Amino acid sequence: MPETMPSPTRTLSALGLYRRMAGASIVAQLRYPGTFAIQAIGNFVTTLLGFFGIWSLFRRFGSIAGWDIGTVAVLYGLVNVAFAVAETLGRGFEVFGGEYVRTGSFDRLLLRPRSTLLLLLGHELRLRPIGRFLQGAFVLIAGLWLAPHVQWSAVLVLPLAIAGGAAMFLGVLIGQAALCFITVEGLEVVNVLTYGGVEAGQYPLTMFGRWLRRFITFVLPLAAVCYYPALFSLNHPDPLGMPTWVGSLSPLAGFAFLGVMVLIWHRAVAGYVSSGS
Amino acid sequence: MTLRPYLTAFGLQWKIGLRYRIAVVAGLVAQMWFGAVTLMAYASVYHAAPDVQAPLSLRQAMTYTWIQQSLFTLLPLGCLPAVGDAAKTGAIVYDLLRPVDMWHWWLSATLARLLGNAVPRAVLLACVAGPLAMLVGLGAWSLAPPADLTAAVLSLLSITLGALLSATIVMWWNILTARTLSPLGSYAVGTPLAVLLSGMLLPLPLYPDWIRPFLLAQPFAGITDIPIRIYLGTPIPGGVATGLGLQLFWLTTLTLLGRLWMRQTVNRLEVQGA
Repeated sequence: MPETMPSPTRTLSALGLYRRMAGASIVAQLRYPGTFAIQAIGNFVTTLLGFFGIWSLFRRFGSIAGWDIGTVAVLYGLVNVAFAVAETLGRGFEVFGGEYVRTGSFDRLLLRPRSTLLLLLGHELRLRPIGRFLQGAFVLIAGLWLAPHVQWSAVLVLPLAIAGGAAMFLGVLIGQAALCFITVEGLEVVNVLTYGGVEAGQYPLTMFGRWLRRFITFVLPLAAVCYYPALFSLNHPDPLGMPTWVGSLSPLAGFAFLGVMVLIWHRAVAGYVSSGS
Repeated sequence: MTLRPYLTAFGLQWKIGLRYRIAVVAGLVAQMWFGAVTLMAYASVYHAAPDVQAPLSLRQAMTYTWIQQSLFTLLPLGCLPAVGDAAKTGAIVYDLLRPVDMWHWWLSATLARLLGNAVPRAVLLACVAGPLAMLVGLGAWSLAPPADLTAAVLSLLSITLGALLSATIVMWWNILTARTLSPLGSYAVGTPLAVLLSGMLLPLPLYPDWIRPFLLAQPFAGITDIPIRIYLGTPIPGGVATGLGLQLFWLTTLTLLGRLWMRQTVNRLEVQGA
């Protein structure tokens, strides 16, 4: 690596340590450029096809339950970009059950004088979701271009919404990892909150039944990081009667969710019993 | 030629598929969730545009979605995991050394893997989405029974052909894996193709009209879309015979070309590892 190696006695700051782990991970992934390219393109195409499905519904029925294509595109773009960021950062939590708990190698992480969260974040900085990210960003921009009443404040609110959404999905991944202390192997049911969350987040909230609306508002704050900020940015009144300004602050709920999951993680680590030998 | 080795390969993979009972339940929850989200979306789209004459009624679209969800693991999403491992470790030479027809050997294992995964899930989801949903008063959201007795029998025949067709497409992914020495490429190519072209993403009849003939004629439609159309009794241009004919055509074509490709691949195969 081009950067100068620090002497072994110097202690790296947390950020410095993360940078080096992330750098090593990127170099490792680019060792197989062909595989990386195929995976990134596959990721781009898969997620773009998802939007093609929505667009086809739109073509046939004229609107999606009264919502214009611009609004739906903004929702779709927001949730996909946010999830792509969380997928990039949180790979270590995704594979935590199989690679750390079952094998017992989590014991080694506990011996290191660093936060376990930091070490797991540094497990891998995954480049593959760049396909989803670019595709989501593309649809988001197209949506903003098509939507009739875009607010200037969207420049501030949309990045906040993406950050809040990424924090929320990262929280789900951390919660999933904490669950592995009990289940050992990762449970695919949690995919309901990650991939299923993306699926639910790309449609307007009003399309769902009451139980699902409550779930993705109060249990998983999906509507807070996606639906309300999108309404605020597009100056679109909420058919359910929530005042529009709520959308400018609601993405903070994503960070709150992440905070709760981190607390749960610390509780879970405190009760950890190794499965290894 | 004796059938026994192929039956053994089939039996082994079938048992592997049945072993993971918790995975079956986890899959059921995930499929119920995706099914529910999709159904609510369709319901509000259909109710907001009551004048649009769609090729599927709302009830048919819902039934289509439930059957697709229940057959998700039947789709050719990538290569057989055992072939992927063999290609990575070089254990593929053992398969080459066996005194059996390699196409049939892999095909029987692939078919068993697909069925072992799909059959328990499909039966379970069909019970939950069908009779159970009716009992708890969600009849409007449930899986509708087949159009009539003929449709039921023909769709059963058609889904059998669909399973064979899916296994044949997975054989193409297997050969691709043997060629590139990594299973990743087959997943990167196979998953998007299968999810879009089989009608998992959106029922094929609901795509824009100009593209529908092409979508019906491509091989992936034969896996689940044609059987579901027969089950629902929705018209296929030319009738049920076209549907079954397309399935047989693709089954034959992909088998002949696939065998050719396999022979060529095996002849110049480079094996990884020592």
